[in-house]
Parts: sequence; structure tokens; C-alpha cells
Amino acid sequence: MDEIIKDITAQEYKEGFVTEVEQEFVPKGLNEDIIRLISAKKEEPDWLLDFRLDAFRKWQGMKQPSWGHLTLPPIDYQDIIYYAAPKKDADRPKEIDPALAETFEKLGIPVREREALAGVVAVDAVFDSVSVTTTFRKTLAEKGIIFCSFSEAVREHPDLVRKYLASVVPAGDNYFAALNSAVFSDGSFCYIPKGVKCPMDLSSYFRINAAGTGQFERTLIVADEGSSLSYMEGCTAPMRDENQLHAAVVEIIVEKDADVRYSTVQNWYPGDAEGRGGILNLVTKRGICRGEGAHLSWTQVETGSAVTWKYPSTILKGDRSTSEFYSVAVTNNRQQADTGTKMIHLGKGTRSRIVSKGISAGYSQNSYRGLVQMNPGAEGARNYSQCDSLLIGSRCGAHTFPVIRSMNPTAVVEHEATTSKISEDQLFYCNQRGLGPEEAVGLIVNGYAREVLSRLPMEFAVEAQKLLQVSLEGSIG
Amino acid sequence: MSRVFIVGKSELPQQVSVGRDEVLDWVFIVLPGVSADIPLTVDIDGPGAEVRLSGLYLCGGDERVSFDIEVRHNAGDSHSHQFFNGIAGGTSRAAFHGRILVQEGAQRIKAFQENHNILLSEEARVETTPQLEIYADDVECSHGATTGFLSAEEQFYMRSRGIPESEARVLQMISFLSPVLARIGDAGERDRLSAEVEAAVRGL
Repeated sequence: MDEIIKDITAQEYKEGFVTEVEQEFVPKGLNEDIIRLISAKKEEPDWLLDFRLDAFRKWQGMKQPSWGHLTLPPIDYQDIIYYAAPKKDADRPKEIDPALAETFEKLGIPVREREALAGVVAVDAVFDSVSVTTTFRKTLAEKGIIFCSFSEAVREHPDLVRKYLASVVPAGDNYFAALNSAVFSDGSFCYIPKGVKCPMDLSSYFRINAAGTGQFERTLIVADEGSSLSYMEGCTAPMRDENQLHAAVVEIIVEKDADVRYSTVQNWYPGDAEGRGGILNLVTKRGICRGEGAHLSWTQVETGSAVTWKYPSTILKGDRSTSEFYSVAVTNNRQQADTGTKMIHLGKGTRSRIVSKGISAGYSQNSYRGLVQMNPGAEGARNYSQCDSLLIGSRCGAHTFPVIRSMNPTAVVEHEATTSKISEDQLFYCNQRGLGPEEAVGLIVNGYAREVLSRLPMEFAVEAQKLLQVSLEGSIG
Repeated sequence: MSRVFIVGKSELPQQVSVGRDEVLDWVFIVLPGVSADIPLTVDIDGPGAEVRLSGLYLCGGDERVSFDIEVRHNAGDSHSHQFFNGIAGGTSRAAFHGRILVQEGAQRIKAFQENHNILLSEEARVETTPQLEIYADDVECSHGATTGFLSAEEQFYMRSRGIPESEARVLQMISFLSPVLARIGDAGERDRLSAEVEAAVRGL
């Protein structure tokens, strides 16, 4: 038993290594020339360059938001390298660089196609600013599914990209979305045609490697009428003493009767115990249920990042469309998280459900922030929200900031929230049965988060449980 | 410290401090025709203190009513309880902003907050932001907020027993508000205000 505890407590952020590959960078700093350079490197059409420049001009006129319950270290936007890509090996242009392949294998991401026991997952692996490989493209193409890097999508399916890009998150939506729109480097694009059920889970894996850079990826998912898709997103970064910026945008369009499940296990480097370094995770994720009966569900497990500022949201436009948000956010040491969701009900009979479980330990601050809005047209709409916070230790904070707005007399909104600590009784009960304090807390926390974890695709659920354990180690006693 | 405030008539305090073992029990009543911003900060500075804040608001016209309540637990071993129910009809705007703050080191706190709203018309608007900000761990805090409408099923039940629809609606609204009225300590005052609220409900 001692061995096991030692094993667990000795675990640190095991994804914190750096891969030695030759990389090319654009010069540090942010101005129109840099944006033109990024666009030129990616051989983009003029309309996309104009989109970037327009976003950049909007961004220049905006201020960094300060309403979050966060203490953000000052970000010098001129001190960031906005584009870093591993150099292509000229001899084997078709093959992925072995060093990169090894990196992703080490992270447990199957970048080479193979049958896994647990099921088959197609992966788009993004390394710093570029997508290095996308697996199972042929198999997916047979069904008419497009799954590729964003840059390829711009080249090969410009009409689709142009039609949907920024249709859910406009370029000037908020400070970080505007920044992303100006400098976004790569990301994943996915289109599921009418009536197609995607035969395997699709996945994006984001890896920050280079120092002094930020990652600005963009994901665009379109599920056409009657289609269905399960999408997973994972991320890690090396351990460094400086903060690194990650400002992503995810847009999801769900047409009539389509079904999209979007799962995230966010495990960016959280900084060390004293709060040095770590990723600043400032992302905008939003989906729209455009058609009748559309369904979008968000499931997230947030264990990493020094600062998390993230509100996956749904606009319920189609009548009788539904959406869910399931979240577990764990903060330890000096981590800060301000996360939640927005459910904007426009259509008749729309339904949404929010289940948020916050766990704070050490000196961390963990906030739930959410909006439920019933617009005048949302006849008979319903929302149920539950936000629970668990406190481990007397130095951390747990906060709940919901906003409920009703403009329709036939809509019903219910919200409840609780904040408490693990009770002495629960711990005593476990101790009595031979479980050590760490194990007991692990068990209780897993039980507490179960409702959310059970929503994750299988491989993810196992990983998430392990992550919860690791994230909380050292927080007891 | 037990008091009832009729908003628009009584003078409203904006800040109050509650010391060791003190009990504060305040009820706020907003009747139709009254528009008001009601900011209130309660500082709980001593252990053993207990704070109960309740309120009801009834808006049938073009009123603008906004509660902005902050309860700060600056000392440990204290309890607070907030309970606010409101009905919004006409083109009124009703808002409830409530915050519970538990300061670092203020342990063994119990704090609860409830806010329920009923919308009667298409043009009425309700906004509620029940917030918890907690910097201590040995706490039990919770809040609940709802917005909804008068249940048609309840109305059907009453109508099938010979109660006309208009009367059924009045009964529903009174039963929705009565838990707040029940918090008024003085029996005479409670009866008088209950009658006043009932008359107001009938007039909506």
C-alpha cells in the first residue's frame, strides 16, 4: 500500500518534457506585417488575410477584459512569437517527423493509424502552430466526412470554411477571440455531411513545445442535418518558468436533428507549486444549434493551466434543440480557474442542463460563472443548473457567479449551487476501512465528479480519473 | 433586531453591522407601483450572529425594482439566510442581485440564499444573480434561484373543484408569497401586511 501511495505522490506533470526538433519561427511581436507573414507562410487566399487584418484592427481598439475572478499576470503581446512550426524534412514530405511521432506516442496519442483495443479514434495532432498529421482521413472520406487541419481546409474546401468561419464567434466577439482571429495558426476542421453518423470518435490533440510562443488554434466543426459526431480534445505543454499564452477559438455549427458531443480533457502545464509558469488558457468556445431538434453537449475536465478563462456556450436557436454542459474543474496550488457556460435560449421548447463540479485545493481560486438567458421567443423553454463546489484546505476559494435572465413567462429556469468541504465523517469512514487519507480523498472526489466523468468517452474517462488523482496530490494534510 | 420595511414608505438602511450573538431579522416588502433600487450590505462581525433577510416584490405595471444585497461573513461561527420571492407582470423589470461573501479564516459558516420569481406577462423581465464568494473551507453554503410561471396544472385542479380561474391565480400567488410573510415576527403586523399583500395581488 505504501508503495502505491509513494508512486502516486511521486507523480508530477509527466507531460512536461520538451521535444528537440528544429523549428522555424516568425519574429517576435505583433503587427500587420507579422500577420501578413503568417498568412503568406500558410499561402492563404486574400479573403482570409483581410479577415485577419480586420480582426487585428478590432483587437487594437479593445481592452483586455478584467471582469474574471482572476489575477492575470501582465501579458506583453509584443513579447510573444505568434508562429512556430517544426521544420519539414524534405526527404520524407509524406511522413511525420519521427521525433514528433515519438512525442505524441509518449503522450499516448496514436498518430499512426492502428487498431486499438479500446476503439478507433481519428486524431488531428497539432504541434505548436501547425497540424503535423491527421489520421484515418481515407476511411472518413469514404463516408464524405472531411477531417483535416484548418490550413488544408482553407486550401481544399474554401467555400465551406468561408461560409462558417466566424459565424458563431465573430472576429470582434471579445479580446482573445479577436486576437485569435488575427493570428490563428492551425487547428482542426471537421464537416459531417447530411445524415452521416461518424463511425469513430474524432480528436484534436494540441501540444505547445517551443518556448516564448503562444498557441492560437482554431477549430471549426460543422454537423449537417441529421448527422452525429463525438469529438475529443486534449492538450499538454512542457514545464517552464514563464507563462505561455493559449488563446483558442472553437466554433460548432449543429444543423437540424444533428448531434454533437464535444469533450475536453484540459491538462496544460499548471505551473509549479509556487505558481511560477504555466499556461494562460484564455479560450472562446461556442456552438449554435441552428436547426430544429439539434443537440450539442459539452463535457470538460479542467485540471491544468495556471489560469483558465473559458465558457463553452450554446445558442439554442432551433426549436426544441437541446444542449448540456458537464464540467469538472480542479485547481490546486496557485491555479486559478474562472469557467462556466452560457445557454442562450432563442427557440421554442429548447432545453438545457448545466452540471458543474468545482474542486479547489491549496491556494487556488475556482469560480463558476454562467449565464442562462430565456429570450422572448423561447416559449416553454427549460433550464436546470447545478453547480457544486468542493473545498480542500482552508486557503483556497470557491465562487459561484450565475446570471439568470428570463424574458418569457412560459420559460422555467432552475438553478442551485452548494459549497462545502469533504466531511470528517466521510474521511473517517474510509480511514476506518483501511484507506489512507490521500486515497480516501481520491475516492470521494471521484464519486463527487462521477456524474460528469460518466459522460466522457471511455478512453477519456480513464485518463480523467487518473488526472484528478494527480492534480490533487499533496493537497491533503 | 426584527423589522419590516415597506419600500417606498420606510427609510431603508444601506449598511448594517451585526455583532457577537446578535440576531438580525429583516423583511422587505415592495408593493405594486413602487420602483426602487435597494442596496444593502450586511457585515457579520461577531461569532454567534444570525442574519435573516427576507423580501417580496410585486410588480404589475412598469416598475423597476432591483435588490442588491451583500452579506459578508467577516467572523466565523455565524449564520445567514436570505429568502426573496417576486412576481413580475406588465412591463416591469425585477432584479435580485445577492452575494454571500465568506472571508478567509471565517470558519464554520452556514449561509443560504433563495430567490424565486414568477413572470406573468410577455413584456415583464426578471434577472437574478445569486453569487457565492468563499475563501474558507469549513462552510456550508448554498443558493437556489428559479424563474417560472403559474402552473396550469394547479389551476386545473382548483377549477375542477369549482374555484374560478381568476381566484385560483390569486391563491397561487398568495401561497407563493406567504413564506416571506410568515417571517414577520409580530402577529398583528403580519396579519395587516398579509391583507395588504392580498389586496395588491387581487389588483394585479
